[in-house]
Amino acid sequence: MLMRILESAPSRYDRGLRILTLGRLDGVYERLISHVEEGQRVLDVGCGTGALALRAASKGAWVKGIDVNPQMLEIARSRARQAKLDHRVQWAEMGVAELENEEAVSYDVVVSGLCFSELTADEVAFALQQARRVLKPRGLLLLADEVVPDGLTQRVLNALLRIPLSVVVYLWTQGTTHAVVDLPHEVQEAGFIVESTRQQNLGSLLELVARRPAGAGE
Amino acid sequence: MNLLRYVVVNILGVVLRFFPWPCRTGLAEIGLPGRDSPVFLTCNYRLTVARVRWALRGTNAYLLVANSRGVNVWCAATGGLLTNHDVLSALKTSGIEERVDHRRVILPQLAATGIEAGVVAKKAGWQVLWGPVYARDLPRFVESGQTKSKEMSEVAFPWRQRVEMAAAWAFPISVATALILAVLWRQAFLPSIFVVWGLSLAVYLPFPLYARWLGSRARGSGAVLAGFAALWVLVLCGYTSYQYLLGQGSWAEVLRWAVLTLVVLLVMGVDFLGSTPLYKSGLQEDRLLEVVLKEERCKGVGYCQDVCPRGCYEVDRRLHRATMAGAQRCVKCGACIVQCPCDAIHFEDAKGGVIPPDTIREFKLNLMGKRVER
Repeated sequence: MLMRILESAPSRYDRGLRILTLGRLDGVYERLISHVEEGQRVLDVGCGTGALALRAASKGAWVKGIDVNPQMLEIARSRARQAKLDHRVQWAEMGVAELENEEAVSYDVVVSGLCFSELTADEVAFALQQARRVLKPRGLLLLADEVVPDGLTQRVLNALLRIPLSVVVYLWTQGTTHAVVDLPHEVQEAGFIVESTRQQNLGSLLELVARRPAGAGE
Repeated sequence: MNLLRYVVVNILGVVLRFFPWPCRTGLAEIGLPGRDSPVFLTCNYRLTVARVRWALRGTNAYLLVANSRGVNVWCAATGGLLTNHDVLSALKTSGIEERVDHRRVILPQLAATGIEAGVVAKKAGWQVLWGPVYARDLPRFVESGQTKSKEMSEVAFPWRQRVEMAAAWAFPISVATALILAVLWRQAFLPSIFVVWGLSLAVYLPFPLYARWLGSRARGSGAVLAGFAALWVLVLCGYTSYQYLLGQGSWAEVLRWAVLTLVVLLVMGVDFLGSTPLYKSGLQEDRLLEVVLKEERCKGVGYCQDVCPRGCYEVDRRLHRATMAGAQRCVKCGACIVQCPCDAIHFEDAKGGVIPPDTIREFKLNLMGKRVER
């Protein structure tokens, strides 16, 4: 049983994440994608199995999904085919380091779900800087991620809750996430205007909507 | 890096060897590096970083710590935890490009199972130079104008490493058995700790004495099994005759110790070959594959010789031809397959089926030693 679980890790990734976020993830993603409009160009950073990218595509957006994990991308591809959305989504195996190659001022929306928590501190700063560069003026940055809660009580409770969950999820998927410290602040530092944030699960699951300021092009 | 810290990290790192131990990623300065200083890259396993910094103390260099999820270089690169993306990321997001004028990064040689030098060159514009296997050889590597001798590019299993490996097994096992015995058999609590450490040292220290029976191909888990069984019998006979001569003890006690030592040896024996750097893990499916060099495709580039940790390859620079002169020493790490720009080397299974080099590049061994493809 354990062997089978471990072997089939990538395909179980989605379910693992759902457990870690206590089932709140779908709602969070739906709310974020409600900001996407038909015909917009969307970049999904760390698309994984395509949860955000496919939601955006089904709203009529043109999407590019990037991820470093070829197995995840394979699952995303087949899901796109099944949903008959493959003409709207382009998948690429690349990390945030290669965002430099994306054209400046070319996207309406940059989305990212549970990706920043897997990045190093340098990568987070770099990804935000690149997101700002590729976005059009007034373009949107939509993030959902695991963060370190603000209050001490919440932090302790969250840690206690997370340890057993993480063990289960690690065994199941060989993957886990590491909370980001003060993401809204980092987003602001990168030159975005944070329009709204919403925290759930004892403050550990953050949704964030930010906008690239108008004017001041790259 | 001060001595006390270095010693503490080493002790903890050695006894907790089987657990990831991440440290901060990103760019670190060693000494007072300038625009021409060498750039080294390593994983973010804390023990490795400590040893690299220790080896490089007194020099001026940049050290890039890439995200390997707290796992050592060889395991991380082979298991897909230290990838091209992590190296690209370290080069592009750390700010190193603004600090130096050159574009040459020295990677640990054992990272060659997972990092493709060609991809790093193409995507980041950095030339990869494969450094020595062990951090302690870094000063000699720098002094010799960034070249390495044959021994600097080969893995070895000297007594110090064998003691480390013995400790890595003995510590967690002795803690687990002691905890269990504290409840079930109080008197054996202390002796069990000595027994576990003794057994572990007895397994690893005499390695050179029995290495030749393990066979060059090391498929023979049979030899390992026989060895462990022999050790078990030996220990039990010793213990029984000692008790007999003293005229104390009981058969019940002998039986208990027999069960205890059997369990301990079974746990240690699960992946004995994989605990040495000289053999592929007995749990990884790649152990059953053969590395095959197709001479007609070889152009004698010689990357295989550069990355092979067992010195299997010989390259004739005039004829532009590589040969696998030391094929029987191969650990099946796959580094040569990943790096060969001519795709002249591949894995073949027992039935002669060819596993394309790109499969080895793209799909890494997971925690269970299986290559997950779809």
